[in-house]
Amino acid sequence: MNVADHQFPDSHHDDYSKTTFGFWLYLLTDLMFFATIFSTYAVLKKSTFGGPGAKDLFSVSYAMIETLIMLTCAFIAGIGGVYAHRKSKGGTIISFVLAFLLGGAILGMIWHEFSHVFAGGYDWRSSAYLSAYFTLLGTFALHLIGGLLWTIVLLPPLFKVGVTSLHLKRMSCLRIFWQFLSIVWVFIFTFVYLLGEI
Amino acid sequence: MIDSHHNWNTSFKPLFLGFVFSIIFMLGAYRIIIHSHLKYHWLLFTVIGLGILQIIAQLVFFLHLGLETKPRWNIAMFIYTILLVLALVIGSLWIMQNLNYNLMM
Repeated sequence: MNVADHQFPDSHHDDYSKTTFGFWLYLLTDLMFFATIFSTYAVLKKSTFGGPGAKDLFSVSYAMIETLIMLTCAFIAGIGGVYAHRKSKGGTIISFVLAFLLGGAILGMIWHEFSHVFAGGYDWRSSAYLSAYFTLLGTFALHLIGGLLWTIVLLPPLFKVGVTSLHLKRMSCLRIFWQFLSIVWVFIFTFVYLLGEI
Repeated sequence: MIDSHHNWNTSFKPLFLGFVFSIIFMLGAYRIIIHSHLKYHWLLFTVIGLGILQIIAQLVFFLHLGLETKPRWNIAMFIYTILLVLALVIGSLWIMQNLNYNLMM
C-alpha cells in the first residue's frame, strides 16, 4: 500500500466514486433505451411507403459537421472536468459554457434538418421509416435539451462558491453526460447517415 | 471512471489523444462512404468497424473506462449492458427479417 491508496479519490468508497458509478448505471440503462430505438430504426429502415429514405433526405457532409461539433463538445466538457479536478473556477466555467454553446449548436442543426424534412412535405406520419427517424433523433434532441437545462442549473452556484467537492461531483456527472451523448451520436452518424448512403 | 494511479482526471493529454483518434476514425469512415470502390459487405464492415474504434477511443480516453482499480464495477456493468444490447438488436433484426421472408415481403 502506498500513500496514494489512502488519498482522494479512493477507489470506490468515497462519495465521488459512488455518485459517478450510480450515474454511469443510469447512462447504461439509457444506452439500452437508445438500443431499442436503434433496433426499431434498423427494422423499419426500408419501410418508406414509397416516400423518401435516408439517402434522399439527408446529407452526409452536414451530418459530419454535426459529428465534429458533438465531438468537440465532449472534448471541451472533458477539459472542463480536468479544470474542475484542478479546482480551477474560471476554467471550469468557461469550458462548460463552451460545451453548452456547442450542444445548443447541435440542437439547432437537428432542428434545421427536421424543418428541411417538413419543407419537403413529409413528417413522422408519412412512413414507418420517418416515424423511426423522428423517434431516434427526437430522443437524442431531448437528451441535448436535458444537458443544456442541467448546465444552466449547475453553473450559477460555481460563480458563488467555486469548485467544492460537491460541485466537482456534479460537474463530473455533467461531463460524463456530454461524453455519453457524443458516443450515442457516433452510433447515429454511422447507422443513420453513413450507412443510409449505401 | 476513476483512476487514482494514472492521474488521468487532472491531465489534458488523454483528452487530446481521444479527440485526435476520434477525428481520424470519423474522417476515415466519411471518406470511405464518399469515394467508395468497395463492395457492399466490405463497406458495411469497415464503416461499422471504424465506428466501433471511435467509440472505444472515446470510452477509454474521455470516460477512462477500464482504468479503474479492482473491483472493476464500471467495466463489468458496461460489458453486461453491451451483451444485453447485442441480444436485443441482433435478435430483433433476425426475427423481423425471418418474418419478412416468410410473409414474402
